Amino acid sequence: MTRADHILLVIIVCVLPFLYARLWAGNEHADYVQIQAGNDEPLTGELSRDRTLHVHGPLGDSVIEVRRGRARFVRSPCRGQVCVQTGWLQASGEIAACLPNRISLTLHGQHPRFDAVNF
Amino acid sequence: MQIQTTHEDHRIAWLTALAISIHILESAIPSPLPGFKPGLANVITIAVLIQFGWRSAAWVSFLRVVCGSLLLGTFLSPTFILSLGGAVFSMTALWFATRLPGDGFSAIGYGMLAALAHMTGQFTLAWLLFIPNIAVWRLFPILLTAALLFGIVSGIIARAMCNEEISC
Repeated sequence: MTRADHILLVIIVCVLPFLYARLWAGNEHADYVQIQAGNDEPLTGELSRDRTLHVHGPLGDSVIEVRRGRARFVRSPCRGQVCVQTGWLQASGEIAACLPNRISLTLHGQHPRFDAVNF
Repeated sequence: MQIQTTHEDHRIAWLTALAISIHILESAIPSPLPGFKPGLANVITIAVLIQFGWRSAAWVSFLRVVCGSLLLGTFLSPTFILSLGGAVFSMTALWFATRLPGDGFSAIGYGMLAALAHMTGQFTLAWLLFIPNIAVWRLFPILLTAALLFGIVSGIIARAMCNEEISC
């Protein structure tokens, strides 16, 4: 290995822990909860106000709970229950979705960065 | 019409065929994470870079991406765009690396640099074009670590190949 190889290796080995620390910690605080049902206009509400929402979807009502700056699916009339198992959402950018019932729950920070997220 | 081909064209075609074969064999290996694969076709790019220079390596890399995607049925799909983007990034990084004064990089350094640039380029493209969610970057450190390890491994293989003096 030449000197350039060693320098590159040292730089990368130094940068990697920094990347882990930077990208895995310090989640951006979320302020808004956005609920999208089917193809309707997404509904946005404040995360600071505690409440339980019943959102209507093709399979029935999904129950979404907003409490102490967090949000989650409490119940959903789907088989997989992936949305409920996702648990509490806390940080900006986190998403829980019930695809069978076509309802998704997204948290946003002070400045929502994107109009839409597609996969 | 007869297209005149040079000795170099034939050499590039042979090496590209080798790279495509590795690329396709590798696509049959199941991946534990999206974007996580050894990138052994990189070995050919590095070996060509060392033996025949950057221009040949760039041709092999570009043709491998295009022909490989045609054979795998991913041509012009998001996979192809990411693959091409990764190749462009890693070849750009390698171009700068070959311009370094002094000893420059060895096969291992080229391997690392190519793999890291490939991964960084793909992530940037995936984030800009396909998944504009900041959460994508959470995968980045893991995949960059993998890229570093696989880059070193492919550098070692490329070095062994060049030491064997395979006649191309």
